[in-house]
Amino acid sequence: MNSGNVIYNRRLKAGDYHLALRLPTGFADPLPGQFVMLRTTAPAPLLSRPFSVYRFTRHRGHVVLELLYRVVGGGTKLFSQMPSGTEVKVLGPLGRGFRIGRAVRNHVLIAGGMGIAPISFLAEFLQQTMGREKGMTFCLGAKSSDDFVGLERLEEIGGHFHIATDDGTLGTCGLVTDMLPGLAAGWNPRVTSLYVCGPPGMLRSLAACLPAGIPCQVSMEARMACGLGACLGCAISTVTRRNKIVKKTVCRDGPVFDLREICWEAL
Amino acid sequence: MEKRQDKKTGPSGNGSAGGMKVVIGSLALKNPVMTASGTFGYGEEYASRVDLNRLGAIVVKGLSLQPRLGNPAPRIMETPAGMLNAIGLQNIGVRNFIAGKLPFLRDFDVAVIANVYGETVEEYLRVSELLTAAPGVHALEINVSCPNVKRGGVAFGTDPDMVAEVTAGVRRVTDLPLIIKLSPNVTDITVMARAAEAAGADGISLINTLIGMSVDVERRVPHLYNITGGLSGPAIKPVALRMVWQTARAVRIPVIGIGGIATAADALEFIIAGAVAVQVGTANFINPQAALEIIAGIEAYLERHGIGRIGELVGSLRTQNL
Repeated sequence: MNSGNVIYNRRLKAGDYHLALRLPTGFADPLPGQFVMLRTTAPAPLLSRPFSVYRFTRHRGHVVLELLYRVVGGGTKLFSQMPSGTEVKVLGPLGRGFRIGRAVRNHVLIAGGMGIAPISFLAEFLQQTMGREKGMTFCLGAKSSDDFVGLERLEEIGGHFHIATDDGTLGTCGLVTDMLPGLAAGWNPRVTSLYVCGPPGMLRSLAACLPAGIPCQVSMEARMACGLGACLGCAISTVTRRNKIVKKTVCRDGPVFDLREICWEAL
Repeated sequence: MEKRQDKKTGPSGNGSAGGMKVVIGSLALKNPVMTASGTFGYGEEYASRVDLNRLGAIVVKGLSLQPRLGNPAPRIMETPAGMLNAIGLQNIGVRNFIAGKLPFLRDFDVAVIANVYGETVEEYLRVSELLTAAPGVHALEINVSCPNVKRGGVAFGTDPDMVAEVTAGVRRVTDLPLIIKLSPNVTDITVMARAAEAAGADGISLINTLIGMSVDVERRVPHLYNITGGLSGPAIKPVALRMVWQTARAVRIPVIGIGGIATAADALEFIIAGAVAVQVGTANFINPQAALEIIAGIEAYLERHGIGRIGELVGSLRTQNL
């Protein structure tokens, strides 16, 4: 458990915030898809809340951990009221992040809503480790143009952009997953990899329309208490190759899973 | 790393202070602080962050004869100063524990207490037999108090005859120290404690979670798939403390206090009220170091008050001339 301080806690859109935390240098480098458990030193909320890493940078004498979050309940509402300087406790980095195959040339990053946070961190990682020439494709979805956060950062990284909104105020009108079958027609499955993070409805519809043979990793979200695999609050149902149902923890076995391993009928 | 000790006596452990040692039946612990079942996995989940050798004991996640998948999500919900859980005793099964988890724990100088769950009396006995035969299990804690399963669990813990039947049955199949973990979801917990004592228990641990509920008013649905769940955390501490105090006065065997313990002061409240030892539960989720910080805090308290042995503090509550 690391103690840190809020550098800034900026409101981006209606209920969306960008939080930057100063932490000691002993904090390990997170991998894309990994997450942290965050709490304040106040008695409430009692439990830490899990957040994917949005950005991580090392500086002289400290590191900066950046998170994106949306106010969805009492815990995140209290976080949104933290002024600069607030002391926080951070456990992490936790979980298994995205695995990146060496043979992959066509990286397709798919994000819905706040899913853009780990997807942006992954994009930056891919850009730094693989260079631009291999190219990235972004499929981004939100309810409305007003709901997009963090687009500028992805545009700086660069790639092919496909944007969809439920109300058609930006990009095509519809779900981000509606675009996939058309795009996938041009992809060579052997060098293509999909990385996804988004709300449960989007993940379900993706599972239903996923083109055959294309590897797809998905970052899952779940309520959790410990982040270490002990409370089992975040367990989801997965299917083994022998078609047996096995519970896995989002915090320790995930949060990134093979999309085809998730048993959507019996989560 | 010290080698394990004889399973009958438990690790001798040279805790930082000999005055912290406690005894429950034939189980000797280096200090009175354990991690509660279901909040510390099988130990390995915390091993990279917590020096397991410093704990009084690890009580592992409840074990059943066959692996259990547990309940569907959502399984947990935060509530004021606490949390509800309805995990449904998801576990890998006693045989997988013995083969896959126990070898790791044997390398540590810490008492391992296996928590036992059954849907029937026979299952409790079979799981207890297998654990008794396994090297590296230092005591059994019998869970007659899980509120989140359809069969077994709390159904046994709310009837003194059933508590006695399970306790006596396990007593026949094990020579390990035998602890019965009681449910607070009863009218008079001392009746259950006396039943367990009379049937041969070496110790009583309490409390398991209080059955609770939480509703999403926008959608008019329960927050948990199981509808009800077990309440834990600071919210239940006063209830747990009251029940520990009542039970410690009702039985002669050691009482282990559980319920909302997050600080050394919380642990000391239970010890002063009559608990020989304590278990830290939900606090492990919030701060993996919680149990170690509590141990250090109790040591500091003993020193500050000039108390040589923790035993002098047990049940030392003054109720007159306040």
